[in-house]
This record gives sequence, C-alpha cells and structure tokens, in this order.
Amino acid sequence: MKNRFAIKFAGQSGQGVNTLGELLAKSIKNSGYQTFAYREYPSIIKGGYASYQIDFSNTEILASTKQFNILVSLASEALHKYIFGLNKGGIVVHSVNDFDFTQEEIEYIKENKIEVVYIDIEAIAEENKAPKIMGNVILLSYVWSLLAFDLRVLEKVVKDTFKNKNIDMEAEIRCLKAGYSYEKPKGYNLNIDIPKVKGNWSNSLLLTANDAISLGAISAGCRAYYAYPMTPSTSILQTLGKTYMKTGMLVKQAESEITAAQLVMGSMYMGTRAFTATSGGGFDLMSETISCAGITETPLLIVLGQRSGPGTGVPTWTGASDLNAALYTGHGEFPRCVLSCSDANDAYELIQRAFNIAEKYQIPVILLTEKQSAESLFNVRDIPKAIKIERSLKEGKERYEITESGISPRWIPSKGKPTYLVNSDEHTPDGVSTEEPAEIVRMSEKRMRKLLTLKEDLPEPIYWGSKDAKKVFVGFGTTKNTILEVMKENEDIAYLQYQYIYPLKFEKILSLEEEGKSLILIENNQNGEFGQLVKKESGYEFKEKLFKFDSRPFFVEDILDFLKS
Amino acid sequence: MAVKIEDYNTNIKNTWCPGCGNFSIHMALKQAFVELNLTPSEIVITFDIGCNGNGVDDIEGNRFKGLHGRSVPLAIGAHLANSKMKVIADIGDGGCLHEGVDHLIHAIRSNYDITILIHNNQNFALTTGQATSTTKEEKPMYAFPDGKAEGSINIGELVLSLNPTFFARGYSNDPKQLTEILKQGMNHKGCSVIEVMQICPTYNPQSNHDWFKERIAQSAIKSTISEAVATVKDTEKIYTGIIYQNRNRPDFLNNLENRKSKKTELVDEVKQVDIKSLLSSFK
Repeated sequence: MKNRFAIKFAGQSGQGVNTLGELLAKSIKNSGYQTFAYREYPSIIKGGYASYQIDFSNTEILASTKQFNILVSLASEALHKYIFGLNKGGIVVHSVNDFDFTQEEIEYIKENKIEVVYIDIEAIAEENKAPKIMGNVILLSYVWSLLAFDLRVLEKVVKDTFKNKNIDMEAEIRCLKAGYSYEKPKGYNLNIDIPKVKGNWSNSLLLTANDAISLGAISAGCRAYYAYPMTPSTSILQTLGKTYMKTGMLVKQAESEITAAQLVMGSMYMGTRAFTATSGGGFDLMSETISCAGITETPLLIVLGQRSGPGTGVPTWTGASDLNAALYTGHGEFPRCVLSCSDANDAYELIQRAFNIAEKYQIPVILLTEKQSAESLFNVRDIPKAIKIERSLKEGKERYEITESGISPRWIPSKGKPTYLVNSDEHTPDGVSTEEPAEIVRMSEKRMRKLLTLKEDLPEPIYWGSKDAKKVFVGFGTTKNTILEVMKENEDIAYLQYQYIYPLKFEKILSLEEEGKSLILIENNQNGEFGQLVKKESGYEFKEKLFKFDSRPFFVEDILDFLKS
Repeated sequence: MAVKIEDYNTNIKNTWCPGCGNFSIHMALKQAFVELNLTPSEIVITFDIGCNGNGVDDIEGNRFKGLHGRSVPLAIGAHLANSKMKVIADIGDGGCLHEGVDHLIHAIRSNYDITILIHNNQNFALTTGQATSTTKEEKPMYAFPDGKAEGSINIGELVLSLNPTFFARGYSNDPKQLTEILKQGMNHKGCSVIEVMQICPTYNPQSNHDWFKERIAQSAIKSTISEAVATVKDTEKIYTGIIYQNRNRPDFLNNLENRKSKKTELVDEVKQVDIKSLLSSFK
C-alpha cells in the first residue's frame, strides 16, 4: 500500500523492546508522521519473543500491516520468528553474535533481496565508554540513519524520556551518534517518499485506549478507581496511579475482582463516580455484582479488556470473544448497556458516555476494549472535547417509584436527606422486600422499561466510507481500524461501526440490506457473537462472514486477501 | 434536636424467630446510634444475606442489602466515597468466614475506618442450619448427622493474627455491654471488628442462655496482641468486652498520600476536570 512504512523491533521479553519502540514511535511522530504502534509479547517476564511494530504514514493510521520494511532484533528466536515478515528489498538489523539463518531463511533473504546487517553493539558501547545496555540505542539510531531522519529529533526524545532516570546521558548520546554514523550497506537506499503531515504534528498525542479511558474518566469527574491487575487492562491502574497526586483520585488495588466490583458499587451508591477494569476471567468474578447492581438499580461501570480464549487462554494476545459474556453474564433478568471502543478517540468519548448512562439509567454499563486497542499506541492530533456530565440526580418520595420511563428518582444519601433502603431482594417501591406476585411483576417491568428508554436515547451506529460502496463490513471494536486502512485505497468498501452494542439499534443494518449492499459480518472471534445478537434482535442473518480467532488482530493483508477471494 | 430510639424504628413486621439474638443486637445498635447522637441519615449499614440481613427493614438509616459474603467490600466502597458517614458492615459468621473471608482479612489489613459487626450464631441459619467454621465439630448439622469433618475457626484468633486496630466481643443477651462496645467501635478511627456471640434458639438450641451464662466473663482491654489472643482462645470462658485496641495506626484514607490532607469527600468532587495539564507526558 502507498504512503506507509513499517518497522518492527523484536527481541526477548525483558530486553527493552517496548522502550525502544516507544522512543521510535515518538521520534517518528515528532518528525511529522502519523504513527500506529502495535505490541506483541508473551505472558512471561524474561525470554520468548516480543515485538513492537511502528507503522507510519501521512494520514491517520489505525492498524498494522502483517509485513514490514525494517526488522530490528536483539535476540535469535525473534529473528527466526519474524524474518519472513520482511518485505521485498527490506533490511534486517540485529545484534546477535554468531547467528546463523536456516537454509529456508537464507533463500527467502536472497529471493527478496533483503539486506542483513549485524552490529556488535556491545563492542561499540564499550568503545564509547557506555554500559552494555546502551547498545540498544545504537540499533535505534542506526535505524534512524537508514530512514535518513534528523538525529536531533531522536536525541531530544531520548533526553526527554530519560531525564529523570539515573543514567549517564553523555554516554547515551555518544552511543546514539555512533549508531547513526555506523556504516550502511553499499548502495542501499530505502527511498521513503511519504509526505509529512501539515502543521506542527510533534504536539500530537500518542495514546493507548487504556490511556484514553483513564483521561476520559478523570475528565468525567470519576473520583475512584478500584482494580485487580489483569492484562490487557492493567495499565489503566498505572496511568491513574501516576497522575493521582494531580487529580486527587482515589486509586486502589483491590484484593480481587469481586472486591473491586463491590467497591465500585458501594462508592457509586454513595454518590461519587467510580469504575473498574479487568479482562474476561476477572469479569466472570464480577458477574454476581453486575446482577446485584441490576436489581438494586445502582450505577456500575466496568471496562472489559478482551484477550483471547476461555480460562487463561492466550493472555497477552488479542481477540473479541467476550461480547457474549458482557451481554449475558449475571443471573436473573435486568437491563444493562454494552459499549465497545475501537481506538483512543472513541475510548475517551465512550468512557464519559458510560458514566452518564450508568448514572441516568442506574444500570450496569460494560465498556469493551481489546488488547489490540487497549495496548496499541494511537496517534491523535488532540483529545476531543469533553462530554457534559449528566448525573440525573433527583430527590423523590420512593427510591424505586414506578415510572413510565422505568427510571426512578435517585439521590445521594447524606446528612439531613431522606434515607432509603437499597435492596437486592425483590422489593416494593419503598425498597422493602416482597414475594407478592403482582409486586414482583410490577417492579421487574419497571426495571426492564429502562432498556426501551435507553435504546431511544442511544446514537445510531457510525457509517464509515462512501455511500456508493458496494460492500459494507459490519462489526465492533478494532475491526473498524483495519477496514479503514484498506478503505484508503478501495472506495468500494465501507464499515458500519457499533459503539453502542446493547440495547441494539439494528435498523441501519436492515436498511443497508434493503439498499442492496452486500453486508459482511467481521469479528475477531470464532462464532460471530455480534452476528448472533443481530439475529436474535432483528431476525437478520449475515450471509457473508469474516472471522479471525488466532489471537492476532486483523492485519491489512487479511482484508485484502478476503476481498480477492 | 436529640436523636430518639423511635427514629430508628420502622413499622415493618419482623421475621426473626422468637428468642433470636438479633432482637437485642438491633436494640443495642439503635441505642448506640442514639447515644452517639447520630441521625439515621448519617449512618450507612450494608447488610449481608442471612438472618442478620433480614433485619434490614427493622432499622432506619441508609441501608444496602447486597450479596452473601459481600457486605464488607460494599461498606468499604461507601466509606471511601464519603468518610463522614458512620459505616457498618453487618454480617453473619457464615458470610464472613466462608464466602467473604478474604474481605475480612483485607479490611483489617487496610484498616478502613468502618465497623464490621459479625453475628456469630454458629451456623448458616437462614438456609436451615448448616455448619459453619464456628459450629462445634461434633454437633449434628444439616446433611451431616455425625458433625462436620472440618476444623473450626476462632474469629478472635483469626482477627488478632492480622494486626487489627480494634477487636471486641459481645454477647446478644447483654445489650447494655454491646451498646458500649458498639459506641467504642464506631468511635474508633480504623477498622473495628466486633464479634457478637449470638443465641440461635432454632438451630443451635444447646447454646442457650444458661449455657452461655456459665461461660461468659468480662475481660479488661489487653495491651498486647499475644495477651489478647490468649484471652480469646480460653477454653473455659468466653471473654467479652473490648479485647484489643491500637490507636496509633492511621486508617486507610489517612495513609493515602494523595488524599490524607483533603478536606472534601469523593462524593463532593464529581465535576468536569480539565485534563490539559496531564497531556504533556503523552506528547
């Protein structure tokens, strides 16, 4: 594809691949390009193979290609693993002493005219009186010289990043310079002919969806975050923890996901804004609390960061197979709302909407992310405008008053205010337990009416692409990003994005079908969970489906191959 | 206007068995609120599921009847949001030592400024008399006519092993002493755990008032954990009173670097925040 370039940094887990990747992403961004950074890593602290791929372009870039132009590797396993990902005419730069490619790899290298450069980074570090670990930046600045970018930009990013760390900055800069001037293969030219973004792009932001969720929550007046660590949601704890002196937010690592969910429910009941984030396994533990929030009509907000597989599954890899868990977890029948974000931009917006929905409708709200959005680095010009806080608090006579909309008055318990009973037993409008059939029906119907009111209130799905496109992909989450990449060079396709999944507004799907569009269900799971929901709600069944469930995101090539077939 | 006991009464019909220890526990609880001059709007009680939880409509106040084993974390969530409220987690020995034992442990470790009131009637009564960790080992119980196969947990010993800042034991047939314990517990700045030895006439009739009368004895407050442990482990006597208190350890909120000097509560702080100043680290 035109106007895009990809670099993959690889190595063992624990060798500093992430740091190198982040430095490079930031430096490329500061050089005037839009970037997208995607991480792969194993669920171990040392060893295995990890990588950090940076794709850059002159326009918004939201997904990776499977293939890349430069491979940099610090370890042999990663070299074997990723060598076949190099494009024709690509280059591999590595620091692995006494490394031998296999016969098959040698043939691939020859056939595709790939250059191989070995750099003895430890020796160069020593020559420059620098510790061995600084060998990493020699590789970084060597790549920078291959790109023929200005060394000062990289130097500034390195300085800014490490200014508060206890390192020998002068040695670091000597290494940077040594790497930048290291000999390049004769006659080798990358020819990066990508125009730069107009304006001062170095002020743009690099955010994961987890960062965006953290910022959105702060913006929305959230005052407490309770969580138990679990990939891929863990970094929300980090972002909120690192900023808590400024924000004053109460950030608490709970002893379990059960506790985290209960703390959120307790704090929301009391009248502040709180939330938690987890992944599938932790979410399962929260299901009783979701059910309890359902009947007690207590606002509850959970971010569910999806990874792949049941049980422990493939813990550090991506997928979107927890939609059914979000839709159906929790015993009994009660209204809920399920949202899904695709990137940093909509994550920032949706977490704010989620707070408003949870409070106005007094229901559990689940915001889905995926490892692919939660931990990938998106490059945005600025954060969108904050969304107005709507709490819909209102004092009333009875906490569970029967209303047409299903929404009863909710007010903050405080000194001098009327007290009320919040009850997880079925109850009458005053909160007192009941086992009377008529009362049970009346209260259950009231609660469920909130779902209809909410559905009216929710926005329609977003249609991306040309009205004339013949093929419309329909889905949720990060599948949007890959389709948008392909759309840049193919006006024949479009994407219908569901940010508000439940209650489902399916009418747009039916009208597109009536217009004669060819609809393709796209999901990063095995069974098409969103498709099942559409069928259940509307009766419509997608004829064409594209599913991927190998724990990898959709790469651009996956879509191109699908469209060819 | 002085708070009256009537402020805490409701007109909902009570469903406990005649002679249930819960009657006097609630009497003591209401009396303690009155003596502390707390109006119902200033207290929060989270109720567990069990016979204790069925008392939720017997008492006024901000009340939340949640899930079995979870009244402690629910209470903590409420307390952290508004520490001006007097927050009590009401729970039985079943919910506290079984489904929710991790919550008890971490609440003590974290020293949240709440009161955990454990109704110890030595069985799961609402589900008609199953054994708990405090049931006597040889006692025939639901589905196990030869007694339980598992060992027991002494609540005091468990609590004291966690370096608590307040542990007291009361007895349901001594509401006067219990009122005093509850007042001290609620005034304690930190996590106060109060175990109430409770009469259950239906599923534990052997441990009736005569049985308790022979064993209950008052204990003075102990200055060390090891003395306190010896007191609660006594095999002849069941010692009651405030058994251990440490006023020197700050409670959780006063240990939080970014919250300890705050004058406002989380519930007062919900408003739009400009995040511009946080963005520089993402550039």
